[in-house]
Amino acid sequence: MDHELTPTAASEDAYHCYLDGLLAGDRKRCKVVVEGWLESNPDLRVLYEGLFQRSLYEVGSLWEHSRVSVATEHLATAITESMLALVYPRLLSQNHIAKSALVTCAANEYHQIGAKMTADIFEMHGWRCWFLGANTPASDLVEFIGEKHPDVVALSLSLYFNQDALFSMVKTIREAFPTVPMLLGGQGFLAGGSVRFEGIEAVRYLSSLAKLEEWIDSHGSDAH
Amino acid sequence: MDPMRTDATDAAVALSYINETAPVLAIWLDAELCIVEANALAKKLLPGGAIGRNLDQIVVDFAASLDLRDLISRPNEVHMLTMKSAAGLPETYHFRFFPLVAGTLALGSLDFAEQQRMRNEVLELNRELSNLTRQLHLANAELRELHELKNQFLGMAAHDLRKPVGIIMTYSEFVLDEAGDTLSAEHHEFIRSCLKAAQGMKVLIDDFLDISVIESGHLRLNQIRLSVGEILEGVSEMGGVLARKKKVTLVLQPADRGLRVRVDAPKLQQVLLNLVGNAIEHSQPGQTIWLAIDQRAGELVFSVRDEGQGLSTEDQQALFKAFASGRTRKTGGERSTGLGLMIARKIVEAHCGRIWVESQSGAGATFSFSIPLEAEVRALQETRP
Repeated sequence: MDHELTPTAASEDAYHCYLDGLLAGDRKRCKVVVEGWLESNPDLRVLYEGLFQRSLYEVGSLWEHSRVSVATEHLATAITESMLALVYPRLLSQNHIAKSALVTCAANEYHQIGAKMTADIFEMHGWRCWFLGANTPASDLVEFIGEKHPDVVALSLSLYFNQDALFSMVKTIREAFPTVPMLLGGQGFLAGGSVRFEGIEAVRYLSSLAKLEEWIDSHGSDAH
Repeated sequence: MDPMRTDATDAAVALSYINETAPVLAIWLDAELCIVEANALAKKLLPGGAIGRNLDQIVVDFAASLDLRDLISRPNEVHMLTMKSAAGLPETYHFRFFPLVAGTLALGSLDFAEQQRMRNEVLELNRELSNLTRQLHLANAELRELHELKNQFLGMAAHDLRKPVGIIMTYSEFVLDEAGDTLSAEHHEFIRSCLKAAQGMKVLIDDFLDISVIESGHLRLNQIRLSVGEILEGVSEMGGVLARKKKVTLVLQPADRGLRVRVDAPKLQQVLLNLVGNAIEHSQPGQTIWLAIDQRAGELVFSVRDEGQGLSTEDQQALFKAFASGRTRKTGGERSTGLGLMIARKIVEAHCGRIWVESQSGAGATFSFSIPLEAEVRALQETRP
């Protein structure tokens, strides 16, 4: 499988149109772009990474440089989250294999869209996926893992300054479940910080959704 | 106009408004950019009441790109600043800085056009959510209806197929018994194949009938108090026949045959025969199967252990669901619907029990289920909604 995103002129136009729509808070314009994108490019991972993730990283960067407000950033996230609903008819009709993943965000982490896209990628590959959403307390997570026994736990981090909370969460899970594999990812690692997790048994940082797909392919997949 | 009113009075009125009710953040900074005074709104919204903190402690600047002194030196410009808040989530304000005789007054307001856009978006999303929820409920209702129709169809079809299959089986057996001597070896084999196929079809039809009853929510138990010995009677006889056919040894290990429990005996025997039958089908000739019954902490635990090829963790997870055939092969090439273990689970759960498997690939498997003893069943049923 080709994991490289090769932007075409059309996809670049679509991306800029989508980004402009996000910054203007124009959901209808964004929806038109996504529908057009899905017609010409049915690969959902490319949509997630090439349009959703790329544009939200850009909005996040603009916010960090005081070029857009918190409200604009929140609205952009909300619009993109609502776009995921356009994908679900294609996504949730996949056949399931006997694999399950639990996907969630760290405690204090309110940006759930990265985790949601991660959950969708698992679903796309036939995995049964439990998505616990934003700001999941470690104690709730431990209880849920004990109840469902997932094959893997995926934790998403959007903000760098929540890394300490995530580290503590990972340690808590590892103490309660010595072998369950954990995957980490998200924008919160773009500036580094994944190295400190390397010493923990069976914890792996994945830098992109493409890397996540590679991991899934090597651990059982029903996709394509 | 009040003739006694002065510029100082006007200024005091304006200041009082800014301090107490204006929807703006007002903070007074000294030369070191430390907040020395703040209005009511700033005290409420900014972390720690704002006073005594330095401005750079409460401005969010991930990119470390802000030069606050430079911004303050440009009083005629509006600057977008994101501030930490007492509630924990940052908020963006549009600030202007006004130089004073001593220090600086900073006034920050929200972008009201942006607020309006957000409000409209929330209303629009709420409308869409409401419409989608309605559509979802309608679709669910249609699915429930279709599911019910499917169950009715399955039940009717299975019921109507049972009779002709029974006739095929009866007449095949009749021909073999009554006219077997007159048939050639080839014709004898033809009839035996018909009989075998019809027997397989009957198992399939019985499973479909069970599933249609279970799925439609009409599984009813006829529970009576029976001893373990009575429950095992039919199982040992039928299981023994199947085991001998496959040249497998079936060993019964009931802890206490006299122990009495309230169960629907035919259904519980169906579960046991399913587990024993599966164990036989996954065993090689010469191997042994153990059927054990133990009393443990208010439960009666039935276990069927075999020496077959065992199950992977993946197969175990899907085992008690419909059409879960797994990847292990039956040693005699036997056919199955993949519904047996699901039916077993439903019957055990209807008895307030649970069913599970312990196995490792290549090391046999132990299928177990538990039935709560009477007092516990009553307590469980009372706690059910």
